[in-house]
Amino acid sequence: MIEQVIPLVVATLVAGTPLVYAGLGELVTERAGVLNMGVEGMMVIGAIAAFAVTQATGNVWLAVLAAMVAAMALSVLFAVLAISFRANQVAVGLALTIFGTSLGSYLGKPYVGMALVVEPSALMQAAARLPLLGPILGQLHPLVWLSWLLFAAVWYFLYRTRRGLVLRAVGESPTSAHAIGYPVQRIRYFATLFGGAMAGVAGAYVSVLYTGLWTEGLIAGRGWIAVALVVFATWRPGRCFAGAYLFGGATMAQLFAQSAGIGLPSELMSALPYIATIVVLVLISRNATVMRLSVPASLGKPFSARA
Amino acid sequence: MPSFSRRDFLKTAAATSLASAGGWQPALAADEVLKVGVIHMGAISDTGWEHYQAEAWHALEKAYPGKVKVTMLENISQIQDCERLFRQLSTQGNKLIFGTTFSQYASLKKLAPSLTGSHFECCAGIEPGPNLGVFEARHYEGTYLTGIAAGRMTKSNILGWVGAFPVPQVIYGLNAFLLGARSVNPAATLKVVWANAWVDPAKERDAVAALVAQGADVVSGSPNSPVQGLAAEEKGIWSIGSTGDFSAYVKKKQLVSFELDWSSAHINAAKAVMDGTWKPEGRWRGLGEGGYVKMTTNTPELPASVAAEMKAAEADIIAGKLKPFTGPIKDQAGTQKVAAGSTLADNDIKGMTWLVEGVQGTLPKT
Repeated sequence: MIEQVIPLVVATLVAGTPLVYAGLGELVTERAGVLNMGVEGMMVIGAIAAFAVTQATGNVWLAVLAAMVAAMALSVLFAVLAISFRANQVAVGLALTIFGTSLGSYLGKPYVGMALVVEPSALMQAAARLPLLGPILGQLHPLVWLSWLLFAAVWYFLYRTRRGLVLRAVGESPTSAHAIGYPVQRIRYFATLFGGAMAGVAGAYVSVLYTGLWTEGLIAGRGWIAVALVVFATWRPGRCFAGAYLFGGATMAQLFAQSAGIGLPSELMSALPYIATIVVLVLISRNATVMRLSVPASLGKPFSARA
Repeated sequence: MPSFSRRDFLKTAAATSLASAGGWQPALAADEVLKVGVIHMGAISDTGWEHYQAEAWHALEKAYPGKVKVTMLENISQIQDCERLFRQLSTQGNKLIFGTTFSQYASLKKLAPSLTGSHFECCAGIEPGPNLGVFEARHYEGTYLTGIAAGRMTKSNILGWVGAFPVPQVIYGLNAFLLGARSVNPAATLKVVWANAWVDPAKERDAVAALVAQGADVVSGSPNSPVQGLAAEEKGIWSIGSTGDFSAYVKKKQLVSFELDWSSAHINAAKAVMDGTWKPEGRWRGLGEGGYVKMTTNTPELPASVAAEMKAAEADIIAGKLKPFTGPIKDQAGTQKVAAGSTLADNDIKGMTWLVEGVQGTLPKT
């Protein structure tokens, strides 16, 4: 039994990790009142940047850094258009996804069909010797462990620091935050950049550590699942973290069930993240108070100090 | 500036179609260049299906240097766009136009009779229609042979298969794989996992992990990238390059492989158009000279006896002495599908929607 469970747990943690990064990044962005639907595009750019750097240097950490920079560059584009020029955030976000996906395919041409060999790091080998959790931890790249730290950091930042409170205030009522002297636009820029950087890490994780291979369509909608995940989590980091593994695990459970001969409708399981998100949306919008408590009040609305 | 009104266009179009409606097809003049159009639904860089389709028109260009001009459009993922572009290629004077996937078949069937200025060929189409030829590989002959290697090499007697979608092409491939394995190892079983995607490398990798967790020690499937093989190598089990040789990536643990080679389909069709002898045909070819299935790399670790066994079976298939779907064959429920001594007809293979006995897994209900 335990031999059956460990692969499933490992697979779930692996599949959930890109969603943890991209989801938490998008969550911070949205808590500042910015709706960036370009996660998929930023992930693709992060994925190709990381792949190219790993191919050239063999250094995974350098690759993750490159992915963060590349995806952040794309989120700057979003921020300039949607925050400074106050363009429609949904439209710019969609454009960013389409642009990022196509640019990624173009930049990825020379890398098609190349496979990376990433040696397990010394840290993983050390972790494998730990009692009890060793067999699981030893199979997970330190980037997975870092995603748990990221969750703790995001939670602490949002709920236990002054800056986190300010960020949430900007998302709820930018006018009030502005009136008491906080730089609303600058805070929104930072939140958007953070979201971009995390989408980049998520992309890097998929291309370098998850598949170790570049093909077009590599991200395969995981960016959209991250956007849905934030809504599913009702903009709370804890639920976002758990939801990432729930959505990642749903796919895994389905594949494991198939190979064990248990019939589950695999198409429905693939649609689960979206169905669950719609259910949550319906549940929270039944009640105006719950709605107000969950959704950042200024989400998707451009802010102008002059208005 | 000369103007070309809509009326002029209609007149010209009517005249052209009248001229070409007679069914008379001239052979190309000796110095004329044959314009060939190809529309790929996926990216030709996919290292799988579209890659081999592109290899075919590369071979065509090489076979007739300077005599053939190929116009290629790739990554046209929407069938509506394909339709528009098929029309466009035809009006731009491409005399021979290829579709590369089954998904384009319905559109081509609709378009081909009216676009008489061109001849059409669709890979993986169902049957030829007016002005539309089809070609498809009997790749089950390849999976039958790789199945022999899998049946010999498995220690757990559990084989794994990652299926893209439950279409007949995939189903008869995996059925023949198990029949091949059982021809040398009656205890072999096959576990099937459906990815429900033609290309989703991350999911294919997880599917391999799921199969390994269930005890599979040789995996195959319908891969468009080396990712299944890489995942298997990481787990230390054998993988099989099915419809693609991935030995350049999967350095240690690719057991055997076969490729799809469509070059003869492209070259023969182009030659027929040049000679003015083209007619719509349905070609379904497997191993052997001019066929579409080619056995490729074996690992050095494959015992010579197994390699010889595969070679002998290959020779028998080419000679027509061995047909993989020869009875008795039962389905999963134990119902006899092919009686002892008889062979499944081509049309029954093409429309296969049942799994052979010993396959563990279900077909997703549609």
